Amino acid sequence: MVPLLLLLPGLLLYFAISLGPSIATAGYSFTDASGLLGAPIHWVGIDNYKEFLLLGANVRDNLDITLRTLLFSVLVTLFQTAFGLIAALLLDMRLKLSNLFRTVYFMPVILGVTIVGLVWTLFFYPIGGPAQKLLGIFGAHSEFLGGAPSKVFYWIVWIQIWANMGITMIIFLGGLQTIPAELREAARIDGANAWSVFRNVTFPLLTPSLNTNLLLEIIGSLQAWQLFLVIKGPTNGLNVLGIWVYALAFGRQSNNPTGVAMRQGYGAAAAMVLFLLVLAIGMTSQHLLARRERRILG
Amino acid sequence: MSSNIDEASAAARARLSAGRPAHRTGSKALAMLALVIIALLYVVPMLTVLNVSLKSKSAFNLDPTSITTDLRFGNFAEAWRRASFPVYISNSIAYAAIATLIYAATAVFVAFPVSRKYVRGSGLFFGLYVIAMFLPGALIPQFQMMLHLGLYNTRVGYVLLFLVDPMGVIILVNYISSVPRELDEAASMDGCGYVRFVAKVVFPLVKPALASVIVLHAIGVWNDYATALIYLPKKALMPITRGLMVFYGQYGNDWTTLAAAMLMLMLPMVILFFSLQRWIIDGILQGSLRG
Repeated sequence: MVPLLLLLPGLLLYFAISLGPSIATAGYSFTDASGLLGAPIHWVGIDNYKEFLLLGANVRDNLDITLRTLLFSVLVTLFQTAFGLIAALLLDMRLKLSNLFRTVYFMPVILGVTIVGLVWTLFFYPIGGPAQKLLGIFGAHSEFLGGAPSKVFYWIVWIQIWANMGITMIIFLGGLQTIPAELREAARIDGANAWSVFRNVTFPLLTPSLNTNLLLEIIGSLQAWQLFLVIKGPTNGLNVLGIWVYALAFGRQSNNPTGVAMRQGYGAAAAMVLFLLVLAIGMTSQHLLARRERRILG
Repeated sequence: MSSNIDEASAAARARLSAGRPAHRTGSKALAMLALVIIALLYVVPMLTVLNVSLKSKSAFNLDPTSITTDLRFGNFAEAWRRASFPVYISNSIAYAAIATLIYAATAVFVAFPVSRKYVRGSGLFFGLYVIAMFLPGALIPQFQMMLHLGLYNTRVGYVLLFLVDPMGVIILVNYISSVPRELDEAASMDGCGYVRFVAKVVFPLVKPALASVIVLHAIGVWNDYATALIYLPKKALMPITRGLMVFYGQYGNDWTTLAAAMLMLMLPMVILFFSLQRWIIDGILQGSLRG
């Protein structure tokens, strides 16, 4: 009895602040709720979804935004996994200063999105900034974060990977530690070269860490929006679904893309579209990854 | 014939082991080079901040990249004053401390009985935390709730939003299930009350995981920008991240002062990380195991 009673504060807070509101998003998506105190809320059925997907002035934008979200997720997942794996394998060789390197690679995770955003804004300073000078060596030039949104997108992909690679690396390192050293040693004595040891021993045994990483990255990158918020804010031609929800629900006055401030019902519908995307892709990948793991590790 | 094969394989082994040291040294050097290059990708952008924070404004305008020749420590004093650092920093410290304290205490009381299945529906409760990452964003209904409770633009409302974090509960549950049950069952035989039992036995038992939860949660609150942007328009209530972005918005071209401000925010985090690294990394590993 007492354990249950003391469990309740934490559980109730979770229900009230996180789980409940999360589920209530579905309800709000069928209303015309605004973010203004005292404004009446009406049930509008599936109007928000119709506007989002079929009829509204933003349908074309919404489609672009959804596709951009998918592209962002694919690029981030692919390259973050690859870089994280490479970094982990290098660190696993236990060379000198390995611990220091690990700390350095992990640092952005601790520094947080505001600092990361500002550090790269400064590094990308367009007039004679460090990145500009670096490009200058090759005779190239870039507007970086001040350029066309379609190009800024790829810089944000890079910053996102740079900022979160440390987590991927740490999870891979944890996986590498569970692989008995004798296994790889034995393969090497049998004459396998480094590549075939990796392909036939290390990589298959890393499957659990790989699956964890892929799932975290797929879902995390589909939902990503804070880096976009810090670096550029809602920007036409650059938005992904996560920041689109923010722009629709909290964009004030003129910067709201639908011309009306704080359309939270419509924003909730956008959040539901993102949710369904996460659910469909997340569940499918989890299923496929689990099947692959069973095949490899039995 | 067979001795021939033996000889051949012995020769092959000899070649292999003779070749290995040279080969190994080569690949080691290559690996070290790769490690250094990746490290530069991380260190150089951060050193840029340090470099700019020490430049004079005219030197920055002349060449933002060149290594600074003067050491303008005055930039730091200026940032401290102009960016209202004392207000923002004390807000951030208060938010992180209060939210983390309440969160960690309630999380242990959730995680312990759930992990040990001492209450009915434990599996279901844990499931509700595990699926959190798949659920729709809670942003909009949260905002409606805070608005209608009159907690918009208040410290209480802001802190309330950080009393919840499924990750920490998952870390604790995973950790507790790795601790033998006999330990707490033996202790509970003594017949002390549940609260005393949790305080005297469970808290010490979960200390390593709890340390991770505390550090990770505090970092999460400290680094929040989006929630503060939505909920705290009043300057006097803003945490340092939001304050920094306001400063950036107002003095967007004053990078020497801004870099000094950034550095003052980064430095404590860097020091903190070096000393608490173990807890942070353990926590992330524990939290990535999902039931």
